[in-house]
Amino acid sequence: MSIQTTHKKLTLRIDGPLAALGRISAVAGNTLREAGRNKLFFGLLGVTILMLVFSILLSDLALADQKIRLVTDFGLAVIPLVCIATAVLLGAVLLYKEIDRKTLYAILPKPIRRGEFLLGKFLGLSVLLFGQLVVLTVCWAGVLYLRGGSFSLALAQALGLSYVEILLVTSAALFFSALSRPVLSGVLTMGVFLIGRITYVINDLMQATKGVFAEVPAMRALGRVLVALVPDLSTFNIADELQAGVALPPDYFVHATLYGLSWVGFFVALSLLVFERRDLV
Amino acid sequence: MTQQPDDILALDHLGKTFRVGFWGKKVQAVRDVSLTLKRGESLGYLGPNGSGKTTSIKCILSLIQPTSGKIRLFGADPSDATARARVGYLPEAPYFYDYLKPTEVLDYVGKLYGLDSATRKKRIPYLLDRLGLAHAMDRELRGFSKGMLQRVGIAQSLLSDPDLLIYDEPLSGLDPIGRKEVRELMAELRREGKSMFFSSHVLTDIETLCDAVCILDRGEVVAQGRLSDLLRMDKLESEALVDLPTDGQDAATTRLLAVAGVELMEQTGAMLRLRLPTDAVPGLTAAVVDVHATLRELSQRRESLEELFVQRAVHVSTDGQRTVPASRSA
Repeated sequence: MSIQTTHKKLTLRIDGPLAALGRISAVAGNTLREAGRNKLFFGLLGVTILMLVFSILLSDLALADQKIRLVTDFGLAVIPLVCIATAVLLGAVLLYKEIDRKTLYAILPKPIRRGEFLLGKFLGLSVLLFGQLVVLTVCWAGVLYLRGGSFSLALAQALGLSYVEILLVTSAALFFSALSRPVLSGVLTMGVFLIGRITYVINDLMQATKGVFAEVPAMRALGRVLVALVPDLSTFNIADELQAGVALPPDYFVHATLYGLSWVGFFVALSLLVFERRDLV
Repeated sequence: MTQQPDDILALDHLGKTFRVGFWGKKVQAVRDVSLTLKRGESLGYLGPNGSGKTTSIKCILSLIQPTSGKIRLFGADPSDATARARVGYLPEAPYFYDYLKPTEVLDYVGKLYGLDSATRKKRIPYLLDRLGLAHAMDRELRGFSKGMLQRVGIAQSLLSDPDLLIYDEPLSGLDPIGRKEVRELMAELRREGKSMFFSSHVLTDIETLCDAVCILDRGEVVAQGRLSDLLRMDKLESEALVDLPTDGQDAATTRLLAVAGVELMEQTGAMLRLRLPTDAVPGLTAAVVDVHATLRELSQRRESLEELFVQRAVHVSTDGQRTVPASRSA
């Protein structure tokens, strides 16, 4: 066996933002391809579609004027939750799998910066989750149509904010995945999600004149820490306002999106810091 | 250590300490390793398991950060992606995404190197064909044997036509035919002027493929230099086959073994196989004449790399005595 390498030197495009973008998209593409072969992902997608279809049958049990509302509530509750569950399950193993299977050792010695690799992984998973959200939304819109309802702009805005929440949870999963093993990173990400969803409750309890958060200084301090460290995810949940017909100020969506993306930026930056310094033994 | 323009890799007092266990106990995996690799040179990195070879390689490729010392790769820090772009790396027992086909793995790697689509389309089938994987181009890696994965690993390491090849145990786990093929491939690449840095346990391969070696033991360099210098360093030895006379064989044997430096390796009937330093040959021949024996064969033998390796890769025990580990003294 003999091999001939090229006599004319190959042109490698390493420097510049376009080259970096090319590497990030290559990693994102591979992440997408890997997740696209994940049975868990498709299982979850299939079960959720079945649940959405099943909501037609469920709505038959409701009063005549509540049928559309039931399908709407069901979709608004289930779709973001399933996407967040996917983000936690896939995000928690995002980096660990690469290290555990040693695939990372063949990739990182190439002319790719660790930050680019991390961003590629995050981007790939974000695109996958967006695809999941779109597929489920289309199914849900079909179910709504069959039930006599329609998919409104308000519903699209609600799901848009849900996607910001999904991105936020994904970025938290990415950070914990860069720090720890899958089970721990999954638990920590779920912790951020659950506390984030009830941050407003903790806030209310701290402002009350009675109760454990108001009366016990240690609990008050804990409450303060939780509120400061965990993003308020209720910002992205506007289902109640939609159902109550409460009109949200037009700049609410912009502010909520910016708030969410700031947290995404924070978690991604922390992940970069951790991953850049990590020894890949 | 001052880096010369011709040095493409320089390790300057490299050290790496890990903290292990709950209490963060320090374990020094690599200590004070200095070496240089010049353009077109081939360096064998040897050492028993756990001697720090892979740790050093991971430092060179910026997968782990050294605790002390400096590394210069093409004159730059290994964290510089542009320097790493000139390196083709084959990890030990390479793992790739098993859901991909060889063409997809190479396409992914090609994108990371910034190779344009036309080059990738031309070069990927060429390399896979050259590495005997043409028949398996469209099969997922999950069904590949270890040898086939090794070839995919070599193909991806050559994709960017790098100046330096860093191979970690490239011959491990291959069957004899696979080893022969990979060895020939490496020899071919060496003839083409590629610089090579590779670790291996297979000493005969290192002897044939390398200009220089660096032997590590417990993270420390125990021997280093050009192979020709190292193997000559401990003097050339000679081996003699002597037929004893019919009478007075015991006395003749005693007389021959009395020559300074002569050692008995083996006795078969009236034939002695002796080992002696080359400068003791005149003394032995004189003794042979004295006892009326016959010198049937006299050959000069060079110390093998294996002997050097066993001799140098010894452990220093707590009382300061150097001992050959039982597994290697046999």
